[in-house]
Amino acid sequence: MFKDITLGQYYQTDSLLHRLDPRVKIVGTLAYIISLFVVDSFVGYLVCALFLFTMIGLSNVPVGYIVRGMRAILILLLITMAFNLFLTPGEVLVTIGFLKITKQGLSFAVKMAIRLSLLVIGSSLMTLTTTPNQLTDAIESLLNPLKRLRVPVHEIAMMMSIALRFIPILMEETDKIMKAQIARGADFESKNLIKKIKSLVPLLVPLFISAFRRANDLAMAMEARCYRGGAGRTKMKPLVYQGRDHGAYFILLAYFAVCIAIRLVPLPFLV
Amino acid sequence: MGISLEKVSYVYEQGTAMQTSALQEVDLEIPDNQFIGLIGHTGSGKSTLVQLLNGLLRPTSGRVLYNGKDIHADGFDKKALRANVGLVFQYPEHQLFEVDVLSDVMYGPRNLGLDEAACKKRAKEALANVGIKEKYFKTSPFDLSGGQKRRAAIAGVLAMNPRILILDEPTAGLDPRGRDEILGLISEMKKNLSMTIILVSHSMDDVARYVERIVVMGHGRKIYDDTPKNVFRHYRELENLGLSAPQITYIMNTLRESGMDVETDALTVEEAAAEIMRKLK
Amino acid sequence: MIKISKLIHDYIQRDEEGNPSGTIRAIDDVSLDVSPGQFIAILGHNGSGKSTLAKHLNALLFPTEGAVWVNGMDSRDQSLLWDIRQTAGMVFQNPDNQIIGQVVEEDVGFGPENMGVPTEKIWQRVEESLKTVGMYEYRKKSPNRLSGGQKQRVSIAGVIAMHPKCIIMDEPTAMLDPSGRADVIKAARKLNLEENITIILITHYMEEAIQADRVFVMDNGKIAMQGSPREVFSQVERMQELHLDVPQVTLLGHLLRKKGLEIPEGILTREELSDVLKKLKKGNRQ
Repeated sequence: MFKDITLGQYYQTDSLLHRLDPRVKIVGTLAYIISLFVVDSFVGYLVCALFLFTMIGLSNVPVGYIVRGMRAILILLLITMAFNLFLTPGEVLVTIGFLKITKQGLSFAVKMAIRLSLLVIGSSLMTLTTTPNQLTDAIESLLNPLKRLRVPVHEIAMMMSIALRFIPILMEETDKIMKAQIARGADFESKNLIKKIKSLVPLLVPLFISAFRRANDLAMAMEARCYRGGAGRTKMKPLVYQGRDHGAYFILLAYFAVCIAIRLVPLPFLV
Repeated sequence: MGISLEKVSYVYEQGTAMQTSALQEVDLEIPDNQFIGLIGHTGSGKSTLVQLLNGLLRPTSGRVLYNGKDIHADGFDKKALRANVGLVFQYPEHQLFEVDVLSDVMYGPRNLGLDEAACKKRAKEALANVGIKEKYFKTSPFDLSGGQKRRAAIAGVLAMNPRILILDEPTAGLDPRGRDEILGLISEMKKNLSMTIILVSHSMDDVARYVERIVVMGHGRKIYDDTPKNVFRHYRELENLGLSAPQITYIMNTLRESGMDVETDALTVEEAAAEIMRKLK
Repeated sequence: MIKISKLIHDYIQRDEEGNPSGTIRAIDDVSLDVSPGQFIAILGHNGSGKSTLAKHLNALLFPTEGAVWVNGMDSRDQSLLWDIRQTAGMVFQNPDNQIIGQVVEEDVGFGPENMGVPTEKIWQRVEESLKTVGMYEYRKKSPNRLSGGQKQRVSIAGVIAMHPKCIIMDEPTAMLDPSGRADVIKAARKLNLEENITIILITHYMEEAIQADRVFVMDNGKIAMQGSPREVFSQVERMQELHLDVPQVTLLGHLLRKKGLEIPEGILTREELSDVLKKLKKGNRQ
């Protein structure tokens, strides 16, 4: 079941988006996330969605593959929606028992759902098209100025990269342990919350032990291959901006400008 | 009685680009009280087959019957099935989690809803059956040695009192001593407890001398299902499946090819020695 | 290449508060010499000290007493640490826990990056190494999509890319299936024969040790037996005492000998056995 989570898993193929400098993709993703909060109208979301789907088109990652990854956050999405739907005061539209759905709540809930979906798809597109090693390099390069402030930039980047590499392995392991405990009669589908939390112990304890064992092994393997932090290290894939990267920055700028314009310029004929 | 598979197929990630067929139209009868070796190369479908047997996976087509009843029919008690069909996964020691060995083994019986005394009784019996001494009962399972951990984990499944016990690669990662201990233990269990044992392995050498029947899987299909001696006659075909016959089969075949008139179906070194002595007299 | 002199290693045991409560002697007065280009196998059951010994050869552990020299470099000299680790590469047991990169080629490049090799040279080394182990066509793949044997070959490539003189393999096949095991051993032999890299293979599988130049058997922190594979495996009863396997053909020869046939100890192949038996048969007829 965990194999379905495509969030954060690199999708191997060749595309313009894959070849872009990872720094462009990080900056782009940040700009895109901010843009989702800059625009505050359905027209704005339409522009964001258009932009996003153009990018997906350029990435050669199948849309179905990304959408399936969304299943993992469906529950989160529904909870957020429900909160907004029922807890926003305003003009009452429908009453179900003690629950009231307001016009403002409805609009809020829908907007929130769109925003969250676009946000998750957008950020997963970055990790789908960028290997963790590239991401690490990019973060390291973008944060480089902080080194002067004695921030351990390389170490942070390395930790992130390793975490990303082990996510799929640990997920597979979770699946395995879960099955093994189900074979011993465990019930992970209990409705009772306390029972549910209790049932997680036989899953989490072995998982943590395994994670520590792997961390230990990995640390030793890294040392054996002469890893000693960032100093004196060279790069197999150094980051150098190409023409297309400058182009991408320009498009990003234009997109961001459009989003700000949508927010600032009143469009009377739309909501 | 037992489990039967009727034309069972299983497809992973059906309907996606990654769709892979793991099992194709497999028919299999698993009666009570048999010692079976299930052999196959990685990716042959043996692990999928094993998970179908106790309902962890649901066949894409075909039926899995336990005592004649479809295990995926409405109202079938899956929990009871899992108690009856015990499954010990690869590296089972990775599932240990409790504070002491005894409590860990009691986890299964507890899930079956037995009372504390009954759980304890079953756990103690199971631990006795895997040869873990009472002085270790209150030890943390993580302080046991590698081989002991694995035995404690096997006890965890044994305590469910299964009628059929499936062990997936029980010797993986063990040294020769650990391997011999576990295999010895399993054949002891087969003798003392009346149940069916399915030993899943990719090593013929491990299973040859213990089991009475060998099922060979290859490319998602059942290739052979016969006594060890009959299966090993196909030692050349086994190689095409990425498997090999026991070393002793090769030795006897080499001797025969070099003109010595020996029977090639010895399963152990002792049998082989006896056969050679017989022919040399 | 490697010289170990009277090596002793003690692990410090700690009680629940983390205070030292005693020591366990994992290696007890071990001395051995490995010449350049040799293929060495170290056998022994779990807890015999063989893995601890391996970690000394790569300066992951340091002697409690005695000394280890790798290509003339004393592992006690901290300033030589990185030179030693580069000279003596290490492949570990669990294929998942030693691959750092998310793409095969990036993982192979990890060692050279750490050594400060210039970018173009890294690419050269990565290509060469992956070709040597036959994994070049997988260079863009995620390690998670590879089989255990393929992952181990990537790990070996990652070590070769550091241009070591010696590779220590600590049970590299323990978690693999038979075909994965065969591939890894083939790669190791190729490195030894074609690249003249010294290989130290630690294993439980005696069939992997048969082709070694020299076999060491460890027990209880000491070297219990050593010699050519034939010398070691001919001592069937001693090996069984140490809970180790001998090839079944060797065992069969041993049994026949005990039954009174004139068969030499230390038969290692089926062909040898069949030759000996043929001669015996002829002798019977005459």
